[in-house]
Amino acid sequence: MKLDPVFIWTAFVQLLSAIPTTLAITVVSVFCGFIIGTITALSRLYRIPVLSQISTGYVTFIRGTPMLTHLLLIYFGLPMLVDGLSAQLGLGWNSAKIPMIAFAFISFSITAGAYMSEVVRSGLLAVDRGQIEAAWAVGMTTPQALRRIVFPQALAASLPNLSNSLIGMLHGSTLAFTVSVVDLNAKAQIVASTNWKFFEAYLAVALIFWGLTVLIERITGAIERRINLFRRGGVA
Amino acid sequence: MEYGFDITYVFEFIPKLLDTLNITLFIVAGAIALGLFVGFLVALPRLYHIPVLQNISKIYVSFFRGTPILIQLFLFYYGLPEILKLVAIDLSKAPVLLFVILTFGLHTGAYVSENIRAAVLAVNRGQVEAAYAVGMTGYQAFTRIVLPQALAIAVPVFSNLVLAMVKDTSLAFTLGVMEMTGKAQTLGSLTQRYMETFVALAIIYLIICVTLERVLLIAERRLNRHNNRDQETRSWFKNRKRASLNQLTRELNLDKKEVPRYEA
Repeated sequence: MKLDPVFIWTAFVQLLSAIPTTLAITVVSVFCGFIIGTITALSRLYRIPVLSQISTGYVTFIRGTPMLTHLLLIYFGLPMLVDGLSAQLGLGWNSAKIPMIAFAFISFSITAGAYMSEVVRSGLLAVDRGQIEAAWAVGMTTPQALRRIVFPQALAASLPNLSNSLIGMLHGSTLAFTVSVVDLNAKAQIVASTNWKFFEAYLAVALIFWGLTVLIERITGAIERRINLFRRGGVA
Repeated sequence: MEYGFDITYVFEFIPKLLDTLNITLFIVAGAIALGLFVGFLVALPRLYHIPVLQNISKIYVSFFRGTPILIQLFLFYYGLPEILKLVAIDLSKAPVLLFVILTFGLHTGAYVSENIRAAVLAVNRGQVEAAYAVGMTGYQAFTRIVLPQALAIAVPVFSNLVLAMVKDTSLAFTLGVMEMTGKAQTLGSLTQRYMETFVALAIIYLIICVTLERVLLIAERRLNRHNNRDQETRSWFKNRKRASLNQLTRELNLDKKEVPRYEA
């Protein structure tokens, strides 16, 4: 077996078809995770009685266990739950109808939610208290102050963390192959084992991931510069 | 799947999974040790701006941080024997664990190098200059002044790295290593009690991570003692016991000074 540089290109082209799946998993999980994260972060910051304890437990559990475990728990647990519910209530649901990618979506959203919760929390805490006091001083209500003053600044402060989470989820999405979703990693395995050229195929997929990561870093770098414009000092 | 969830199986599976705990911890320890070594080597050229090595270490870090660890695992497992075959080293009999530790070590190495770099750069330049001014040599200034301060800065990120590594070892099962996740998969398919095995697995990981976090937090506090002065951080959430939206508005009277409270 010799290294075949031409096959890297062949594999690269074949792998391109799997990029949308990987990106879909990433984007969906980060988006849902952001919503879950905001809810849990706010309930923890405002110490809402029951919700904050649940949120703390959720964040601790998810951050203390590997992403793979979440995926496997959802993969085996969700059908049990769905079938049990439908049997009990006679809804006629069937867990076999759940598409494989849905397991990835659900489980990765739950994973991302816990990590996002910390991102959102640190972003909100980074905003100076004087900002919300000033907003109240000019007569804004608290929701207005949060929406107009706190959230934009918190977003700017947490952008680097957000981009890290996005990259983390992009890399984490490779786990989806364990529940037989054909993402980039699974596609690479297919290409590799059909052609018996493992090294070349994985090199190609590594290059794709590298490219995607650098792209995300560049884009968020540009957004960061734009969003932090208000911070510049000086007079003009 | 017609069975219900049976909690007794969880307790039955935990000791069985704990049998493979040593392999998981071995991978973690090996990867962290290798990662610290590699990370230090990679960070040095960038800290001292050595011409060509600096670019190599940049590319190294970018690659290992830019590709998923799972892909790296496969890449090394399949690629390394082929590359080393060119220089007449036969790795086909090498244990899988070697590849796993090597990959995880190189992966952590990239993160550790960034960690070291950030920590050293965070130490005020005046500190080194002051050390030189009192007549220390470069080595003395580094070990006595920069290192203790940099260590304190690096530890929180480093503990995150260790915890991430513990969780990443679950990926080793993809290469057929019988660590905890691999064991759980076999146990699950053997007994057809997947849910219970994975709950047991999650519990074990959770306990390991929480324990490690506590231990590393103690180290962090110990190293950060010199920083425990009053910090002027006025966050709009901090230092309030319970703050509902109404209370926040009511508590605006500014004569009531808050006592700084450090987060646990």
